[in-house]
Amino acid sequence: MTEAPLLEIRNLRVSFRTERGMVRAVDDLSLTIGAREIVGIVGESGSGKTMTVLAILGLIRDPNAVIEGSIRFRGRELIGLPDREMRRLRGGAIAMIFQDPMTALTPVHTIGRQIVEQIREHRGLTHRAAWDRAVALLDAVGIPRPGIVAERYPHELSGGMRQRAVIAMALSCDPALLLADEPTTALDVTVQAQILDLIRRLRTEFDSSVVLITHNLGVVAEIADAVIVMYAGRIAERAGTEALFADPWHPYTWGLLGSVPPLDGPRLMRLTSIPGLPPSLLNLPPGCPFMPRCRWRRDACLARPPLEGPPAHQAACVIAPEERPADRVQALGPLVAAR
Amino acid sequence: MSAIGPLLEAIEVTRHYTVGNSLFRKRNALVRAVDGVSLAVREGETLGLVGESGCGKSTLGRCLVRLYDLTSGQIRFEGREIGSLTRRQLRPLRSRMQMVFQDPSASLNGRRRVRDLLAEPLRVHRRGAPAAIDARVRDLLRLVGLQPDHLERFPHEFSGGQRQRIGIARALALEPRLVVADEPVSALDVSIQAQIVNLLLDLQQRLGLTYVFIAHDLSVVRQIAGRTAVMYLGALVEIGPTETVFHAPAHPYTEALISAVPVPDPRVGARRRRIVLGGDVPSPIDPPAGCRFHPRCRYATERCRMEVPVLRPLGDGREVACHYPLAG
Repeated sequence: MTEAPLLEIRNLRVSFRTERGMVRAVDDLSLTIGAREIVGIVGESGSGKTMTVLAILGLIRDPNAVIEGSIRFRGRELIGLPDREMRRLRGGAIAMIFQDPMTALTPVHTIGRQIVEQIREHRGLTHRAAWDRAVALLDAVGIPRPGIVAERYPHELSGGMRQRAVIAMALSCDPALLLADEPTTALDVTVQAQILDLIRRLRTEFDSSVVLITHNLGVVAEIADAVIVMYAGRIAERAGTEALFADPWHPYTWGLLGSVPPLDGPRLMRLTSIPGLPPSLLNLPPGCPFMPRCRWRRDACLARPPLEGPPAHQAACVIAPEERPADRVQALGPLVAAR
Repeated sequence: MSAIGPLLEAIEVTRHYTVGNSLFRKRNALVRAVDGVSLAVREGETLGLVGESGCGKSTLGRCLVRLYDLTSGQIRFEGREIGSLTRRQLRPLRSRMQMVFQDPSASLNGRRRVRDLLAEPLRVHRRGAPAAIDARVRDLLRLVGLQPDHLERFPHEFSGGQRQRIGIARALALEPRLVVADEPVSALDVSIQAQIVNLLLDLQQRLGLTYVFIAHDLSVVRQIAGRTAVMYLGALVEIGPTETVFHAPAHPYTEALISAVPVPDPRVGARRRRIVLGGDVPSPIDPPAGCRFHPRCRYATERCRMEVPVLRPLGDGREVACHYPLAG
């Protein structure tokens, strides 16, 4: 008998009552994250990936929100947990980083003071000890001259340095789980590479698990052990990273992969792209939400496809394995040598 | 290069700003946003302009179509010097050089219907009677893949991708020869980005457009640009055929930039050698002496600290500003 997973989400559903009907932001989402695991959640705007993270953190405060299902962290149910206890977890055992580091920093205090506050909120350290720990953390996340930077205000740092400072703050209480929502989206690629290296080190040096939310398939390929592809609030496909990129099952995944121009190899005449737009989550019709944009749609898609397959690889699609086109990732023809 | 010469040419273009004239800081600082950039764009080609935030690529793009004045240098468009023309003198040229912006909701007036947004440039430039303008507006809409029933709608009723289509239609209204597109797909979702990239390529083929395509996303630039120029701290470090630049970068900065792009293929990703640059881009207020890249360059020598490398041809259609180019 193994111990309970670090995080276990069962049939999570997040809906919002609106004047025009129910908006189902997350629908029947189940996932499990083990210790020292990095899981990527990929999807476009409105796919429900951010809402999932906010639900885990207990940060959906909208009175019209209805949250159903179960979120267990180390076996303990988080849905309905009193605010006071949730606050003790947030920033402690569960830490988060967001796309814009300024959402986590106040402009009126120095970086060091903000990290010290966080440490002392969760740990009974003296100010002196907390300050030393803050400087050590800034050093650990690759900030040069950490003692000096700790005395600086957020506006005095570059975007990459700010994001590092936020990561240092997130790590200050040895979180078991780090939730990172588009942590590198606002950063340049060379800085992104630095931050991804850092997140990778979290597992080895801090024993943390990471849920990484991104729209960037490249980021996921580089860093995640497993990937969950979300569409319209539901899981379209989930698999180990290698399997997802080598043998994707869901046409939406094919479309996403085909939408990214390759960086080497032959240049494509056209990108595959996905026609149309993501659906409105307001009163989604029954059936597969991707059906209106899918080139492989059929009558069977009018009924909602369940997430099927062995635990290691599942997809919500009726297409049989033998029907998956061999060239599905770069499904379109002629290549050009030069343009 | 053909005998006719390039459609657009920048010669030693410089654009400086002064900042810091605030209550607390009396001394003005000079920001060298673009510092002596020379490049040429041939008719019908796409020149990709890449670099990280603050490298001056957007400022250069705006200088090229003279939305900004130059501090010094020249811009030649259709063989004519336009770098020192006044606003009034530029007006007749405006129809032939247009811009597409990153955020179409900021560049489209939210209180006007699509019909008026597209007709406005045609009216301003007196392109025909109302009936002719109306027909042209419908053509434009079809050209960018929108429907006639979109005419009466307002910008906020569209998705980001559709709004960018409207932005493109508006830029094309006056049949420009040159379009400078500044991060036109970076605010869009991945699947929508691909649609817009395909659209821009189709339009170029159909209308013989010349593009300057500014982006920080290197894989998108590789898809669309025949040649690519790489900027760092206000200066051009490398320019040449896209395949050459991407496959065998000659400048250490280009090499690091390309190696940093995460590739959506774990097998390829594991094979690639990632060069992680240390530190941050230095401030353009006080760029490093010698080669601007030397403090972050793993190949830098004493010479790089002293001597500014000039852009020079490598013989494979490429120019690079490095004392020790990696290829060519």
